[in-house]
Amino acid sequence: MSNPEQPMFRVTPRMTRRDLLIGMAAAGGVAALTSLSYRTFFSTPEETTEEKVPFFGVYQAGIINPTPASALIAAFDITAKNKADLMRLFKTLTERIQFLMAGGTPRQIDPKFPPSDSGVLGMKVFPDNLTVTVGIGASLFDNRFGLEHLKPKHLITMTSFPNDQLDPNLCHGDLLLQFCSNTAETNIHALRDVIKNFPDLITLRWKMDGFLPPHTLKKLGKDTVRNLLGFKDGTANLDATDSKLMDKIVWVQPNGEEPAWTTGGTYQVVRVIRNLVEHWDRTPLQEQQTIIGRRKDSGAPLGMQQEHDIPNYQQDPKGKHIPLNAHIRLANPRKSDSGLILRRGFNYSRGYDKAGQLDMGLLFVCFQANLERGFITIQKRLNGEPLEEYIKPVGGGYFFVLPGVKAEEGYLGQSLLEGTGV
Amino acid sequence: MQAWISNFRRVHFYATLCLISLTVGACNSNNSPESVNVSPEAKEVKAEQQDSAKKIAITVTDKGCEAGQITADAGKTIFVISNKSSNPLEFEILSGVKVIGERENIAPGFVQQMKSNLTEGEYDLVCGKLSTPKSKLIVKAASGTDQAKAPDSSQLAAPIAEYKVYVIQETDQLVKNTKTFTDAVIAGDLSKAQKLYAPARVHWERTEPVAELFSDLDNRMDARADDFEKKEADPKFTGFHRLEKALFQDKTTKGTKPIAEKLMKDSLELQKRVASLTIEPKNMVGGAADLIEEVAKTKISGEEDRYSHTDLWDFNSNVEGSQKIVELLRPLIQKANPDLLKRIDDNFATVNQGLTKYKTTDGGFVAYEKVSETDKKGLKTSVTTLAEDLSQLRGTLGVD
Repeated sequence: MSNPEQPMFRVTPRMTRRDLLIGMAAAGGVAALTSLSYRTFFSTPEETTEEKVPFFGVYQAGIINPTPASALIAAFDITAKNKADLMRLFKTLTERIQFLMAGGTPRQIDPKFPPSDSGVLGMKVFPDNLTVTVGIGASLFDNRFGLEHLKPKHLITMTSFPNDQLDPNLCHGDLLLQFCSNTAETNIHALRDVIKNFPDLITLRWKMDGFLPPHTLKKLGKDTVRNLLGFKDGTANLDATDSKLMDKIVWVQPNGEEPAWTTGGTYQVVRVIRNLVEHWDRTPLQEQQTIIGRRKDSGAPLGMQQEHDIPNYQQDPKGKHIPLNAHIRLANPRKSDSGLILRRGFNYSRGYDKAGQLDMGLLFVCFQANLERGFITIQKRLNGEPLEEYIKPVGGGYFFVLPGVKAEEGYLGQSLLEGTGV
Repeated sequence: MQAWISNFRRVHFYATLCLISLTVGACNSNNSPESVNVSPEAKEVKAEQQDSAKKIAITVTDKGCEAGQITADAGKTIFVISNKSSNPLEFEILSGVKVIGERENIAPGFVQQMKSNLTEGEYDLVCGKLSTPKSKLIVKAASGTDQAKAPDSSQLAAPIAEYKVYVIQETDQLVKNTKTFTDAVIAGDLSKAQKLYAPARVHWERTEPVAELFSDLDNRMDARADDFEKKEADPKFTGFHRLEKALFQDKTTKGTKPIAEKLMKDSLELQKRVASLTIEPKNMVGGAADLIEEVAKTKISGEEDRYSHTDLWDFNSNVEGSQKIVELLRPLIQKANPDLLKRIDDNFATVNQGLTKYKTTDGGFVAYEKVSETDKKGLKTSVTTLAEDLSQLRGTLGVD
């Protein structure tokens, strides 16, 4: 995410509101440029690297806090031999994540040995807005660890939908780590730290990197990120600051149909959705728009004025404005709460295929308290949509994100492994 | 596979029908007259520039159209029809006996608009009843360079009809070749079946975008192992490529009888469905590009016929199918954008030249693995260029 054009001023990707107000006052011509506002505009890079998301909480971080510019998703097979090993894995993983998210100085050791830290972030690890979110797959509930009876009700191994072309080397896993931070290097640093610390307990199954445009993230609320099809993506996403809504849609609640240990957790869906961009770029604009259901320029639903205008499908029962099989109409028919999800997607790009066509698309991520009513219901509606000619889901999986760690003595997965409930 | 197309096209069928009849406006309900005020002075026919479409006011009295003859420029035109007669009226533009555009049931005292994309020529106007004396509409060639040169959609009717014939013939041939192929498979004649595999696919590949309109058949007949969860071991993996795997990788016909029988049955079903299929302008015009997109996606990579390596057969058939469409549309493309046509022709020639090198004496092609990396790159370049140019076709011919 470097900005070669302005290396000196690559400084304010994330101004605080206060900085912004002060800065605007200065820009608005209030008196002369004070030293304070000068600092605001030409501040030092540490300001973003020191950004920090708290680790402890009822829920894990990396779900409802704002999406930073860089993501890395890695799935692992757990090679732990027994439940004691598994506990060691989750306890140590908790310690590592806590350290990585807070930052600090890695242990110094005799230079005759390999260093304890990769050094990718320098001698001192900075938090850089890092979150590491831990989920587990249905395969963890086989007979290896005696957890069969504790499997979340809807957790299954992801099955293939009609348009899927799933690559087994890019699917599923016992453990899923979602790294999000301001920069790719911070995620890579964290991933390498994890891999280095658990050689005997986990083995990498697949990984995908994702990114979002920092310039748009800065303007969220006023602007929406575009996907690699060139369309605004996420306009109708849920408001993650609405805690009542999150309780309803995202977080597993106590005393429901789920095992007690899952309270405060959530189902995570990851889908690697390749976009056939060459073909898409050779498709007439009007067809692109009818396939999506939005204008490409403004993001407004077809027949409407503004991006955030809410389509009234009752007034368009025959799909005159927004075709019945347009992506936005199938994805969110605006009928009831059934099938709502919190999305946290990223773009990805990873080389090219045998035909020399670009391999890029959407690293789709979503969270929901009920997998069946959430993603699966939505995807079933989308099956057969016209967009399918231009997209090819090739990987991903279903996972259950563990409840958060509330205090120092706890660890990720404690309620599952010790049956302590919540 | 492209399961979406059938649903998608079906939903759009109504809209496209309207397009064929040329007047998008005529798709709106005829029973909702728009209360556009036309000044009483508009007795003379006036043309005015507005929103790039020119408006032509037409006043109809009991004697018919007030103006006996109307002259207009080619391009997008809006007719503003005021019914000053005492009866509901019908407004039609006729080219010979063919209706180019119409507005029905304009109630007395009401004004309605009708959009039309006029091309050069002489037309008759019906204003009132069919028995009312007709007026003349003379459309002159557009003067400005920014005028739409797209042909009106009715001109696509003839090429589409011809294309339908082509598709039917190809499907008939597909049925015939699939019969001899599957017979050989069922008879357990491995080497004969191997020889007949690629020729049977020729006719599928030539009209692939049409065959893909039937997603169920497409899935059963032409899916590749990647499309299934358990890949080659998946019981849903059937059709040509399943037989290809048996014949060329497992080198046996053992256990393939049900698959061969099903493939034969499905190709007969395809034949039946194609006979009653309505090919829309977009299917045909877009098909030329879709065929080349197929080449760019799966033939260039050698993924299509990974066991038999007969990819060049399919490659060539896609190109032939695409070229056929361009042939049928040639006069229209020539008129709309001769430079584009020239480029397309040149690119087809380049692609065909690349293919010729790998032709065998018996009319087939060498195994794809024998194609040099340099030539693969060359083929890829020319196919991509062709895909880019063919992607202009729909816009050039004004097909939605």
